[in-house]
Amino acid sequence: MRRLLLKSLLLLSLLAFSTIGFTGDAALGKAKAEQVCVTCHGLDGMGIDATYPKLAGQYADYLEQALSDYRSGARKNAIMAGFAATLTDEDIANVSAYYSTLKEHRLTDLSKK
Amino acid sequence: MKTAIILALMTLSLQSNAAGDATHGKKIAYTCTGCHGIPFYQNVNPQYHVPKLGGQNEAYIIAALKAYRDGERNHTTMQAQTSNLSDQDMADMAAYFATNNK
Repeated sequence: MRRLLLKSLLLLSLLAFSTIGFTGDAALGKAKAEQVCVTCHGLDGMGIDATYPKLAGQYADYLEQALSDYRSGARKNAIMAGFAATLTDEDIANVSAYYSTLKEHRLTDLSKK
Repeated sequence: MKTAIILALMTLSLQSNAAGDATHGKKIAYTCTGCHGIPFYQNVNPQYHVPKLGGQNEAYIIAALKAYRDGERNHTTMQAQTSNLSDQDMADMAAYFATNNK
């Protein structure tokens, strides 16, 4: 019985891990952002132009989806296609982790107030 | 008379370029909160959190909504939600979202 419990626990944790997938490293992401994203989005994720989205505090997995879609061409933007093409899967996870951790001026879910 | 016409035209053009009305935006954005107002709400297939919009840049929101409506950006739910929105509706919603992060 105890073995069964342990086994199912192990299986569950494996499952949980696999759905989360690769978790980005925010420190590595910052280093990459300094090379690639900073010119338009800033290191603070606020962007230099109102037509660029703010990234500070955004969900990391949404940012990953956006970058992957720009890279694959599923989402079309001439500027972003060029930059996303230079990123590996790991880079995408890392820069997404970095911008999601920023607290200053961070985005929020809509409140119904 | 000429001045009056010019003034009237200027007023008209001002109105058509009017910035978004956040109060009206709030009214028509009620359905948005069904997904974007629930923390950690998940998009299904592919799975990811629906983006946070509170405090987002107005111009970016308008561009995103238009891209969904005009079929340049693919997402079944978002394309359906935006299909009946006018440009003014979008500007109003964007004005509301931009200020909704207190």
